Amino acid sequence: MRDALVYSVLSHAVIMVIGYFGLPYIQREPALTDTPIMVEIVNVSELTNAPPPKPEPEKKPEPKAEKKPPPPPKKPPKTAAPPPPPPAKDPEIAALPPEPKPKAKPKPKPKPEAKPKPKPIRKLAKAKPRHKPKPPDAFTSVLKTVEKLKNRPPPEKKKKEDKKPEKKETFEQQMAQALMSRTARHDPLRALAISEIDLVRQQIKECWSLPAGAKEAENLSIEIRMAMNPDGTVRQARILDQNRLQSDPFFRAAAESALRAVLNPHCNPLKLPPEKYQQWQNMILIFDPRDMF
Amino acid sequence: MMVSEGLLHRRGWRILLCSLAWLWLVAAGTAARAELRIDITQGTVEPLPIAITDFVGSAANEIQYGRDISKVIADDLERSGLFRPIDKRAFIQTAIALQTLPRFGDWRVINAQALVQGRAQIVEGGQLRIEFRLWDVFAEQQMVGLAYVTVNENWRQVAHIIADAVYKRITGEDGYFNTRIVYISESGPQNRRVKRLAIMDQDGENHKFLTEGEALVLTPRFSPTLQEITYLSFYGNLPRVYIFNIDTGRQEVLGDFPGMTFAPRFSPDGKKVIMSMAKDGNSEIYIMDLRTRAVRQLTFHSAIDTSPSYSPDSRQIVFNSDRGGTQQLYIMESSGRGVRRISYGKGRYATPVWSPRGDLIAFTKILGGRFYIGVMRVDGSGERLLAEDFLVEAPTWAPNGRVLMYFRQERTTKDGRGGRSRLYSIDLTGHNEREILTPIDASDPAWSPIIR
Repeated sequence: MRDALVYSVLSHAVIMVIGYFGLPYIQREPALTDTPIMVEIVNVSELTNAPPPKPEPEKKPEPKAEKKPPPPPKKPPKTAAPPPPPPAKDPEIAALPPEPKPKAKPKPKPKPEAKPKPKPIRKLAKAKPRHKPKPPDAFTSVLKTVEKLKNRPPPEKKKKEDKKPEKKETFEQQMAQALMSRTARHDPLRALAISEIDLVRQQIKECWSLPAGAKEAENLSIEIRMAMNPDGTVRQARILDQNRLQSDPFFRAAAESALRAVLNPHCNPLKLPPEKYQQWQNMILIFDPRDMF
Repeated sequence: MMVSEGLLHRRGWRILLCSLAWLWLVAAGTAARAELRIDITQGTVEPLPIAITDFVGSAANEIQYGRDISKVIADDLERSGLFRPIDKRAFIQTAIALQTLPRFGDWRVINAQALVQGRAQIVEGGQLRIEFRLWDVFAEQQMVGLAYVTVNENWRQVAHIIADAVYKRITGEDGYFNTRIVYISESGPQNRRVKRLAIMDQDGENHKFLTEGEALVLTPRFSPTLQEITYLSFYGNLPRVYIFNIDTGRQEVLGDFPGMTFAPRFSPDGKKVIMSMAKDGNSEIYIMDLRTRAVRQLTFHSAIDTSPSYSPDSRQIVFNSDRGGTQQLYIMESSGRGVRRISYGKGRYATPVWSPRGDLIAFTKILGGRFYIGVMRVDGSGERLLAEDFLVEAPTWAPNGRVLMYFRQERTTKDGRGGRSRLYSIDLTGHNEREILTPIDASDPAWSPIIR
């Protein structure tokens, strides 16, 4: 009898320990990485992360850039300085690559080295916001307001005001500022990278039609449990919280919109890494439109 | 001894089995905890692609009804901006083959996410029986299916009812298609406008005039009981609040006030009318019980208080007042106590209307010589302006509180041209602005509740 008790206590203790720490022999696979994969697509949503165009650093470099371009046009006699800009389709882009080199020679070596990386990003970021000045506003909320159209001009004025004092600063100061502000406001990796999970997010986003304008749409968070096939298609998808599904028509409508998103042929198969199937064969998608309103 | 040892032995096995079961459970638990979770915080705002087939019938007139009903449903849903009816020519499965069961693959191929099918039948007694089913194409399930029997002339109303049912099932909110609009129809030169009370279905059909234009009429408002309209008429050059019975055509002046009465609106139960009365350069808010005709004054302030509108629970009233120096929005309890200001933005605020959903207040805003239609939360936060123009005014809510209607008037040129005035509707999101077609100029729309 006492033995039995001891057995019982011991085995329960073992189970508790295993339950708490996990089984030692369960093989841990590498978790789905959130490390970035570089892709060329700049997604609209990331534009908000793009740095605001800063003309100053470019305007300054131009004189220096002029020194550089001359070599090729040297063939024509002498007044080469003005012509170079026109041939280049985009003067800014043309001016950028030479910029680091002249600087590198004079003195601040560390700074120019840091420069080249952000540069290409800036080109992309610059090009887009100019075509569509609205996205930053439009994507903070899907709810439109005409007032923002009116508010837009003032910020521009502010920018202009800011520009004037900056012009007085030395080139070094500007560079330092540009670098600092970029690290502060803009994370180049985030702007262009899409992690494996983000890829799925992007994919589903395209298929999910939000319940915009619904009452208290910001309080609707929908969890969908999914059983996946190895090829990334959905085998089964089920809305959790079945109680609320029956009682709350708003929730039902929103939940069904989420279900339609995961069942949408355009979102099947999901772009998940096949070698990590073990990790995503069962997963839960949480649809939360809060940030969109 | 042997027995007990055997027992122990057996017990040991049992313990082992138990522990194994436990281990399995625990392992399953940890596995479940490790389940991948992905947050989806962004989506698009796209209308839902929906396939609406012609309702089938066997006789020629049944087929005709079926086709007409299908068109009314498609037009209603399309106008809401939340649905995109798919061109019928893209359909693979025929409406007749659908009668057994939809081949969902055929509908997925054409990107349909929802499917509406139905049947129109002339039944005994010459009545029209209409049934429909709404299918979820991805989930391959019926979402709703209903049948209606009605007199033939009501086919259009049944089509609106079906559109409402589809809308409600998919968005979770009540529809607003089986409703009517009363508005002021305007004709003649700008300085001698003839203004008549007119009524039509929400889609512009069944238009008719209610008054002949002998007296100027303004600000019509629907009763929640639907049979009555309250409005302002200048009959005999005396501006007074009247009540008009749609069924009988009877008009009646409301109360015997010493001054001019204006800006009337029904209480949510339809038993009271709240309005303003102006006297000696001041205007206050009064409430009249329609049954007893008892009148009570709610505001007592030297400033101009007007445009009252009840909250859907009847507990509060929003109105505008210039007691703070400029015209702003205020809320008070329905007893008249506890007045507090809710609007603090630049410009002037007018014609507040409490949403039937209770969450928002729509208003007209005048800022820098421009007019805006906007909404704000009940506490005054979250102001959003949805429409802007030289003149946009008089917002009215659809009964589900998701869509607003208002009128827009163009500038009149020096030679008296222009000044075109039309009704528009806009979704609460600020997208999907649509003109409501009226035969001639229109202003001051008022949305009816759902027709039951």
